[in-house]
Amino acid sequence: MHLTTLILSSSLILVIAILIYPLLTTLNPNPQDQKWAITHVKTSVKAAFLMSLLPLMIFLDQGAETMFTNWHWMNTAPFDMMSFKFDHYSIIFTPIALYVTWSILEFASWYMHSDPLMNRFFKYLLLFLVAMILLVTANNMFQLFIGWEGVGIMSFLLIGWWYGRADANTAALQAVLYNRVGDIGLIMAMAWLAMNLNSWEIQQIFFLSKNFDMTLPLIGLILAATGKSAQFGLHPWLPSAMEGPTPVSALLHSSTMVVAGIFLLIRLHPLMENNNTALTTCLCLGALTTLFTAACALTQNDIKKIVAFSTSSQLGLMMVTIGLNQPQLAFLHICTHAFFKAMLFLCSGSIIHSLNDEQDIRKMGGLNLMPMTSTCLTIGSLALTGTPFLAGFFSKDAIIEALNTSHLNAWALILTLIATSFTAVYSFRVVYFVTMGTPRFLPLSPINENNPSVINPIKRLAWGSIIAGLIITSNFLPSKTPIMSMPLTLKLAALLVTIIGLLTALELTAMTNKQFKITPTIPPHHFSNMLGYFPAIIHRLTPKLNLSLGQSIATQLIDQTWFEATGPKGVSSLQVKMAKTVSDAQQGMIKTYLTIFLLTTTIAILLTMI
Amino acid sequence: MTPVHFSFSSAFVLGLMGLTFHRTHLLSALLCLEGMMLSLFIALALWALQFEMTGFSAAPMLLLAFSACEASAGLALLVATARTHGTDRLQNLNLLQC
Repeated sequence: MHLTTLILSSSLILVIAILIYPLLTTLNPNPQDQKWAITHVKTSVKAAFLMSLLPLMIFLDQGAETMFTNWHWMNTAPFDMMSFKFDHYSIIFTPIALYVTWSILEFASWYMHSDPLMNRFFKYLLLFLVAMILLVTANNMFQLFIGWEGVGIMSFLLIGWWYGRADANTAALQAVLYNRVGDIGLIMAMAWLAMNLNSWEIQQIFFLSKNFDMTLPLIGLILAATGKSAQFGLHPWLPSAMEGPTPVSALLHSSTMVVAGIFLLIRLHPLMENNNTALTTCLCLGALTTLFTAACALTQNDIKKIVAFSTSSQLGLMMVTIGLNQPQLAFLHICTHAFFKAMLFLCSGSIIHSLNDEQDIRKMGGLNLMPMTSTCLTIGSLALTGTPFLAGFFSKDAIIEALNTSHLNAWALILTLIATSFTAVYSFRVVYFVTMGTPRFLPLSPINENNPSVINPIKRLAWGSIIAGLIITSNFLPSKTPIMSMPLTLKLAALLVTIIGLLTALELTAMTNKQFKITPTIPPHHFSNMLGYFPAIIHRLTPKLNLSLGQSIATQLIDQTWFEATGPKGVSSLQVKMAKTVSDAQQGMIKTYLTIFLLTTTIAILLTMI
Repeated sequence: MTPVHFSFSSAFVLGLMGLTFHRTHLLSALLCLEGMMLSLFIALALWALQFEMTGFSAAPMLLLAFSACEASAGLALLVATARTHGTDRLQNLNLLQC
């Protein structure tokens, strides 16, 4: 057998086996030792990462992709049971996900060290990682659905990790419910595919879809992505998910799980290429999401919520890219975004723990006592805003350029540009409030960053945020040629709006100590701070409407109508009415009864006589 | 119809009409009931004689015994009515009905 394919396939199987091994050791009835989390889980993820570099290098060298079917269990016609597809999307994504997870696990061993259930935490994270790898390497919709549901459930378990806190339980439930609404779309798409194309294999779907009008399943897939990737309409779960521990936020809700929806659309993009309805939906939905969540991020005071909204905004940007028919740029943005967003979360976690679990940015400041963390926070924010030649620049600038030079919706374009400037504003706000100025935290805070398990992950991710964009773009050619020549203004558009945003933010900051405006402008501030009143309205109104509909159905329709007016009670009330009418003539008048009896007897006798 | 048959039949019918048309006293209803019982007794005795069924001769005695029970039950009701309502007048019985 050809050596390349042998090494490729076997190393990929080995990656998955390495990841599953620690989970199998937990099936042992003897309890694990204290260090299981560090010795088994983190080591396995590190080993899996190093192992997954081998297929990456082979792919770089020879462009070899593979697709293997592992387990033909039974003759299931629409799909094969366990079928892995390692095309260029999964070969690039898997090492990146493993690298980020390795850093996060090392950080989590410091962050969660005082938690007695730390082993279970690591097990959940590992299970999540396995589900995510299953999702991205799925060759058929069934396996993808398994991974999809797996990441949803692990998200629930991990957000509600501190389940003694009522807010955490609410947030976990919110995540599950919003994801479920999206899952309806995915199941509808799968059902349509099974009914019309008779297959769940992705290759076959691509081949057969040329003859069909794919609008309905595509709307289902977009709904699924809206739920999982927190687009507008199903977005409130993502800021609420910050109730979970910071490693959870870093892994799930910034790099891996929330990009699952976008990844689904990228993987099934050939279905969408020619369907203008679906593309326009993606474009407008993404543009709305990115602007709305960026506007909400402007006035938040919790550092994790600001980063969560920035994640949501970047997800909207990825959705816009898909609507532009550029799945590879979206994928590039997924990869670079993973690095700096995870690093932002890890820096936040380090700051939070150092200030004794303080998460309000109005109570931070002057953190030059934590040089490594604040530096990396700044690097991450710069990468996020698309500073030239850091990681975010390669993807974000390419997206804005593609947006500018396409014959598409000008409204979506304007929204995206405004959102890009807002990105600069809130990133600057974070950096200003957290690291600059005079300290506003308590004097006896346990500020400490000399533990290597804090610093090394942040350093690794910082290196990733700086050079990942360069490495990925210089090694992987795009399959759609980008437009290279455009007017200078358009070329510099992203940079210009970012600088405008930054200058505006600087001006506003300089005006604060001159007491220019003592109170904020109430309506816009409250709109932004209350997340556009969306959760406040929807979380009350929709359940109330549903429950009152349910109650009126149960009470008025069933109890009062079917049971009382028309059902058994209706029959009995009719009988009672008739009986009352008849019994008006039967008032206990014995004399009348006897008289009638006599008359009846007489008539009967006469009748028989005659 | 032979005169004997006519006599007890008419006694029965007259007693029935008296039972159904009694208006004032409960006692008159009970008396008519006794009259009906008497006519039935005569009818049963004549039946046994007419058809010469000696085995049927016990039937009038049975009827008499049961009529005695029934008459005593009726009299007990009369006494109870007189105790609770004061008289046996029928209009007293539903005086309190609304």
